[in-house]
Amino acid sequence: MAFAIPKENYAGKVREIVIGKGDKAVKIGGYDSMPLCTFEGTWPNKPVVAMEVYDVAPELNAQGWPPATFEAFKDVINDPGAWAKKCLEYGADLICVQLAGTDPNAQNKSAEEAIEVVKKVKEAVGDIPLIIWGSNNLEKDQEVLPAIMEAFPNENWLFGPAEEGNYKKITASAIGYGHLVAGKSSIDVNLAKQLNILIENLGLSLDKVVMDPTTASLGYGIEYTYSVMERISLAALAQNDDKMQNPFINDLAKEAWKTREAMLTVEEEPTYGEQNTRGILMESITAIDLIAAGSSILIMRNPTAVKVIKELINELYS
Amino acid sequence: MGLTGIQIFKLLPKKNCKECGQPTCLAFAMQLAQGKTELSKCPYVSDEAKAKLAEASEPPIRGVVIGTGDEQYKIGEELVLYRHDKTFFNPPLIGVLFKDTEDDATIDARLKNFNEVSFERVGYILKAHLAVVKNESGDAGKFTALLQKIKDNTKKPIMAMSDDVAALEQAAGILKGTKGVLYAATEENYEKLVDIAKANELSLVLKAPIEKVAELTPKIVEKGFKDIILDTEARDAKTMFQHNTFVRRLALKKKDKAYGFPTCNLIYEMTDDEIKEATIAALAIAKYGGIIVISDCKPEVILPLAIQRLNIYTDPQRPMVVEQGIYPINEPDENSPVIVTTNFALTYFIVAAAIEASRVPTWLVIMDVEGMSVLTAWSAGKFVADAIAPFIKKVGIADKIKHRKIIIPGYVAQISGELQEELGEDWEVVIGTREAADIPAFLKEYVAKNQ
Amino acid sequence: MSKIIASAAIRGAHKIVERVENKIKEAIDQYGPDKEVAYPNTAYYLPIIYGILGRKVEKLGDMPPIIEYCKQLLPEVPAEDLWIPYLGPALDAGMATLFAYDMEEALKYVDPDKCPYLPGGTEWIDPASDNIWLGAADDVIMRKRGVEFVDGSAPGFAAVVGAPPDVETAVKLAKEMQEKYLYVFMASDHNGVNMAEQLKEAGVQLGWDTRLVPFGKDTSAAIHALGFATRAAMSFGGAKPGDYRKVLLYNKNRIFAFVLALGTVTDEWYAAAAGAINYGFPTIADSDIPEILPYGVCTYEHVVSNVPHDKIVSKAIEVRGLKIVIKKVDVPVSYGPAFEGERIGKDAMRIEMGGPKAPAFEFCEMKDLDEIEDNKIEVIGKEIDEYERGVTIPFAIWVQVAGRKFQKDFEPIIERQFHHLINQAEGVLHIGQRDILWMRISDKAYEAGFKFKHIGQILHDKLHQEFGAIIDKVQVKIYTEEEKVKELLEKARAVYHERDNRLAGMKDEEVDTFYSCTLCQSFAPNHVCVITPERPGLCGAYNMLDCKAAYEINPTGPNQPLPKGEVVDPVKGRWEKIDEFIYTASHNAVEYACAYSIMDNPMTSCGCFEAIAVVLPMCNAIMVVDRDYTGDTPCGMRFSTLAGTVGGGIQTPGFVGISKLYILSKKFISAEGGLKRLAWLPKALKEFLVENGLQKRCEEEGVPDLVDKIATEEDCTTEEELYEWMQKVGHPALEMEPLM
Repeated sequence: MAFAIPKENYAGKVREIVIGKGDKAVKIGGYDSMPLCTFEGTWPNKPVVAMEVYDVAPELNAQGWPPATFEAFKDVINDPGAWAKKCLEYGADLICVQLAGTDPNAQNKSAEEAIEVVKKVKEAVGDIPLIIWGSNNLEKDQEVLPAIMEAFPNENWLFGPAEEGNYKKITASAIGYGHLVAGKSSIDVNLAKQLNILIENLGLSLDKVVMDPTTASLGYGIEYTYSVMERISLAALAQNDDKMQNPFINDLAKEAWKTREAMLTVEEEPTYGEQNTRGILMESITAIDLIAAGSSILIMRNPTAVKVIKELINELYS
Repeated sequence: MGLTGIQIFKLLPKKNCKECGQPTCLAFAMQLAQGKTELSKCPYVSDEAKAKLAEASEPPIRGVVIGTGDEQYKIGEELVLYRHDKTFFNPPLIGVLFKDTEDDATIDARLKNFNEVSFERVGYILKAHLAVVKNESGDAGKFTALLQKIKDNTKKPIMAMSDDVAALEQAAGILKGTKGVLYAATEENYEKLVDIAKANELSLVLKAPIEKVAELTPKIVEKGFKDIILDTEARDAKTMFQHNTFVRRLALKKKDKAYGFPTCNLIYEMTDDEIKEATIAALAIAKYGGIIVISDCKPEVILPLAIQRLNIYTDPQRPMVVEQGIYPINEPDENSPVIVTTNFALTYFIVAAAIEASRVPTWLVIMDVEGMSVLTAWSAGKFVADAIAPFIKKVGIADKIKHRKIIIPGYVAQISGELQEELGEDWEVVIGTREAADIPAFLKEYVAKNQ
Repeated sequence: MSKIIASAAIRGAHKIVERVENKIKEAIDQYGPDKEVAYPNTAYYLPIIYGILGRKVEKLGDMPPIIEYCKQLLPEVPAEDLWIPYLGPALDAGMATLFAYDMEEALKYVDPDKCPYLPGGTEWIDPASDNIWLGAADDVIMRKRGVEFVDGSAPGFAAVVGAPPDVETAVKLAKEMQEKYLYVFMASDHNGVNMAEQLKEAGVQLGWDTRLVPFGKDTSAAIHALGFATRAAMSFGGAKPGDYRKVLLYNKNRIFAFVLALGTVTDEWYAAAAGAINYGFPTIADSDIPEILPYGVCTYEHVVSNVPHDKIVSKAIEVRGLKIVIKKVDVPVSYGPAFEGERIGKDAMRIEMGGPKAPAFEFCEMKDLDEIEDNKIEVIGKEIDEYERGVTIPFAIWVQVAGRKFQKDFEPIIERQFHHLINQAEGVLHIGQRDILWMRISDKAYEAGFKFKHIGQILHDKLHQEFGAIIDKVQVKIYTEEEKVKELLEKARAVYHERDNRLAGMKDEEVDTFYSCTLCQSFAPNHVCVITPERPGLCGAYNMLDCKAAYEINPTGPNQPLPKGEVVDPVKGRWEKIDEFIYTASHNAVEYACAYSIMDNPMTSCGCFEAIAVVLPMCNAIMVVDRDYTGDTPCGMRFSTLAGTVGGGIQTPGFVGISKLYILSKKFISAEGGLKRLAWLPKALKEFLVENGLQKRCEEEGVPDLVDKIATEEDCTTEEELYEWMQKVGHPALEMEPLM
């Protein structure tokens, strides 16, 4: 008897979303099977990797960046434009401008300063689409992100995270200024759906929305993110729930690189072994889990991790 | 799907004899339905019922036991495709490759790592589990010598790997009594190898193209041998994912017994890049790998991989917990603030990370509430004033600080008054933030105000 | 529609169209048909014409065809003796007016030297400047401000035409609207006076930043308010130019705007008002003109007249159905969840209300919108500062709420919120509910200036904030005189009683809609609660009315209305649409559930259940054990073991998680015979049920002595013992059909 591949039938399909415009626009989503299951569905767009450019230079220390990552960027950390170009050299599909410095608990940088950073990045990378990621401070993000949208109207960039507490301002501005929104809900299928509905109710088409289910790192709750993404994907594909048919974005580097496992030096924890490999694996394993769970955009940091993940994406979706 | 408790109950003798250890047949039936006890404990069950129940309770994927004593593991016996549907039960074994072409010094060093690299995390030990000894040289003597050496120097189970049946037969003799693994039976040699494995009480990897598996495993089972592990010859990440998925789906959804066995993935054959190898291994852990063989066991690789194994195989309905106690963060002293929260691992991790990020030296006091988050524990009556107060006094935080202030999560602000009363006048209860993300700002302000 | 208004509007429209036609002719004569005409910096041309008709006016020569179109739209002025339906023609006349105004205003920009307006893009008006008129907002302003309308930080705008009688009233009105975060768009005059100039005279800062926006002196300048709205519909609502239906509906449903007509309503105003009605924007007038009350195009009334100035803003808000934005609770002490748990001991107490020593209660009552005044807070009797320190006084909190969507059934739900709302004030302690109210106010709060009236303020502010979806007005009366409190208490008690009976009287058969609760899916992924009048949620926290209110408050939340559809099985409790819902909402994990059965596909249990019902096969009966009882039970499993067995959102025949009060429902496992099956309860639970009417229910079931036949742990804790007990007392379950 011939071997028959045990295929699943899916009733639904995830929306195809375009970020940016023109030749360099990046497409995600559009798939109609569970992640990696190319044998039973079409994945017109592979997951993409967005590399981070920060608005404030990281430091090489226990609270900042470890050597593995710092070395790769040390010449460009004070120049967002050069940094972004470097990311492209490392293989980034798009650039994620991380506005961690705008956090009132960090440097409390102003919206104007953030706009300057974005401007430098844009000038450096041209039409490569940008993801603009806030500091996760509800109040500040709803001030800074709309200001950037206003300063760069109709670029069709992706802005996030928009949460239940601030999605209105961010979504309204995205509508007015022609951008996309990443809605972030806290590891719950129904909350994710509810946020999509709320965003749509405000007037933004779901063709302009990606979902951030709240991303945890390996060792720090990855299994929650992993399972909620699988559940949302099944709702979207198997049950054809059209309010869940949006691709995922995962802001993972920040999480992976603040773990003890990535940050402790050999001196601090000799039993943990060599620090570079350990940190890179914290990032690359988090990333592969998220790919297996259905991520479409991975926000990553370390060039070696990016290289391996890009290779694997190409192999897995070949 | 198995039978419900009531369906099982109907097949039981309904005597409430208590001889099974359960007070009622219904309670016994519920335990059976959840796979927490065995039918053999019921002395009065009829043969007819036994047959029906055995059939219903036979797992769709064979459980294969490997190793002995503290190093005994079971793989397989999985019931779901997605962990959220129930849980993944038996985590895969991380296997480490040893070749008989390596020099003694290398072997010794790597064997030392293999035995010693181990980490403790939330009560679990993270490590590699299986030594995979490969007959790379083609020389049976070298192979068995290495096998013997490793056997003599580890308590962990061993998988003996060779193309040479004769070499494997010798290996089986060495491994007898260890519940190790033989690699590998093929279409050509399986009859012989099954006999060897059976005679030496070892499990056996069947190496065959995925479409051949359906043909071969029934023949092996017919010979009275069931401890089969499948290597479908996938040698790249994509094929591995697909084959593992096919095997799992065929066993669970198509009820195809021929595919109802755990899998074996030789990751070291898929790449020479250390990072890529471990990353593919992680994918194998998430996606249905049973034995996952990598080339080495450096601590920096084993640590993240073993965490992956722990995370993916955490029961989604039974949260991970951390140990009750006092956790110093950022080197606190007698004037540092004290934050109290629950022992749900995620709560702990997120709060600890937020405190770390704040750079404010702080005592984090974790209370055992059976792994519930703050609000859940509160509503279940476990994180409430008359439980917290005695805990605070008992845990010994008072010996570490000069002040008597404790910060409780904002979500349980409503207990502050009662907690204050329970703790007595020496203590002051401070209400913290609702979200961990707000802890850094809170702590900075708190410290500034209290200086 | 009133014939007088219709006639006036149509007359006005004729006049306007004729005037604008002449102006266009003059302009073409002067500049030629190819002369460009545009508002500053906009991609939307003349926005009303572009948005509604999809036509671009780019040069003067584009205008005459539009005027021709206006003329076609214009109906005949109705003859005095003719009686025809008015609304349609008047609305057409209104649209023609808007198109004409759009062109009339655009003509002002043709010659920059003669343009009466400040440069396009001006947001802030220099108080020293003589010219305060902004004219059309450019796209930059429209986007920036439009965002506020979409995200709700500006609830809407008032298009003010004319002027109030004096400067003082103008300032008051402006301030009132500013406090409610409304934009005030000003145009036109009444007897030569306009509101913007009144405000300037009073030294009030004008401009977009203060939300007081002077558009222009002419009535035609009011068109910029609608131009703004039309562009918003295209920019934020995704309406394509020419998709007039979408443009108008977007405004009706999302831009909460209204027209305030201050002064004599001229024919021109009528015509413009008719235009605004097309957008769903009603007109509120201070003068005595005919009203148009029935609902139709606008959400509620269309024209409301003769409203006094001190009421006109709140009336407008009510008529437009606008939700009030409250940003901070206005009390002199800190307010927030952090203070919810604080205790106030005797030593720190300024005053005590109610408790064991004095009568006190709280009460929520629904009123009609025009019966109460929002934010009116009265203290009837002495205020806090008129009492000695440390006394205990009688107290009543009588809250009246009104809302277009409010229902009588929501009263107790809102009332139950008082506890946690009041408790969040620092230095205020609130215990109990209904007529067992007990409150204390601390010395510290008193010293900070906290008064009784602030309790009313908290309730007003928070009820708007949290229940704005169903509450439009909140009025609070606080009573401290013993006589009055006692008198009102009797009234309140009667209502409490009536409420209890009302809920108890609801039958599953009598409603066609149940409610869902999927709140627990975060940890029990496939669990679905179907909540019916006779089967409350298994957690005990949600009855059907709670769900209904929760749905009104949060329409996208976990509680959704479920039309029952055809009855599939009346005995076991299955309905066609409910089956479908359970299947979908459980992510296809649960095919269907029987609401009234414990044996056949019972409802799933999440983990929050108050109690678990379990079959006892040997006894042919069931037992119920609740969370508080930790000892052995006749089924051989304790609560904790049972909870692990049935929880997690799976169906477990023979076991079902329930709320305690459900045991007293007539639908309590009625498929298997109901209450008569019940043979064992923990003692405390049995006492609780007896207090809540177990005896009566037993009588209804025809077994008046059943209460005594239900065993507790004091009688037995094993199935064998229970069986003996049942035989001894003659338990009815022994005679019933076999359970399995």
